[in-house]
Amino acid sequence: MKLQPSQWTALEQMVTQALAESSRSLSQMTTGEIRLDAPQLSFVPLRELPGVAGGPDHVVTAVYVGIEGELQGHVILLFQPKEARALVDLLLGHPAGTCRELDELGRSALAEVGNICGSAFMNAIADRSGLEVKPTPPVLLEDMAGAILQTVATDLLLTGDEALVIATGFNGAVPGHFLLMPNTESMARLITTLEAIR
Amino acid sequence: MSDRRLEAVGLGELKVADRPDQVLVCYGLGSCVGLALYDPVVRIGAMVHVVLPDSSMGRGREAPPGKYADTGVEAAVAALVDAGASRSRLIAKAAGGARMLRLAGSNPQLDIGARNTEAVRAALARHQIRLVAEDMGGTYGRTLQLFIETGRVLVSTVGRGEHEL
Repeated sequence: MKLQPSQWTALEQMVTQALAESSRSLSQMTTGEIRLDAPQLSFVPLRELPGVAGGPDHVVTAVYVGIEGELQGHVILLFQPKEARALVDLLLGHPAGTCRELDELGRSALAEVGNICGSAFMNAIADRSGLEVKPTPPVLLEDMAGAILQTVATDLLLTGDEALVIATGFNGAVPGHFLLMPNTESMARLITTLEAIR
Repeated sequence: MSDRRLEAVGLGELKVADRPDQVLVCYGLGSCVGLALYDPVVRIGAMVHVVLPDSSMGRGREAPPGKYADTGVEAAVAALVDAGASRSRLIAKAAGGARMLRLAGSNPQLDIGARNTEAVRAALARHQIRLVAEDMGGTYGRTLQLFIETGRVLVSTVGRGEHEL
């Protein structure tokens, strides 16, 4: 995806706004200070997506949220399993290293992060474009990166080639990735919207 | 085992191998289907990493040979015969076709695993190739390996171990 510098700036602003909103909501949910780190944006070819998580058979923890409405696509929050457990401790206010296996509470905490961040992205898009978008309920998966990402990539391969990958982290301590994957038509709409912003 | 050469077969790829030290691997199959074809007499094998069921879903661009079940099976059989395998001796084993996002439910596009599974079975039937073993469906990822020396096929999963097909 080739973006003009002004479009790129607008996209970065939109993502930064969404992450700031996510930080606010997460901090309220946890009664602690949760801050999402400054994002690094890149477009990654779909077939290279498993590489951002260590390779196709590398086990990852993922929260999937679908984008529905006037834009369609997928948001995936991706962590190394160790980092996902560290985030659970951060969210629940437990000492680091408490969470070893993902229990019901841990799973729902992570799903809620996906829900909050997914909603924040969709609100940011909606605010700037006037398009109506809404998230599907979050789904938590822990499995091979290839298997998870392939499934979504397959849907996109029908219409597109790339995903927007947003590398960020929680409180400078827990690295994670957001994969924002509108289908091609939706991406075009989004770019058109960004063009209108100067 | 350390002298074996693992060769990854990526999304939409097709690879043929005829050396005993070669092992073809589809890593992290989700909704995709990994198809292993093997001629046990001349010990030549192929692996296809099928992404989508039908080449009519294409966008008119050049697609890698293994991307679709129909064209992938056809290309694999042709490549194996070219390499010296006999069409009538070929046996097939397959894994994948999972529904990773079952709980999402509402998006039928994401149940492409079942459609891939059906399409691979149908394509094999059209070419009269026996599918002797399969491990398809479910909601989890799989890695598929084909050992050219023996024709042995292994499926590994996260938390469910490894088994021979």
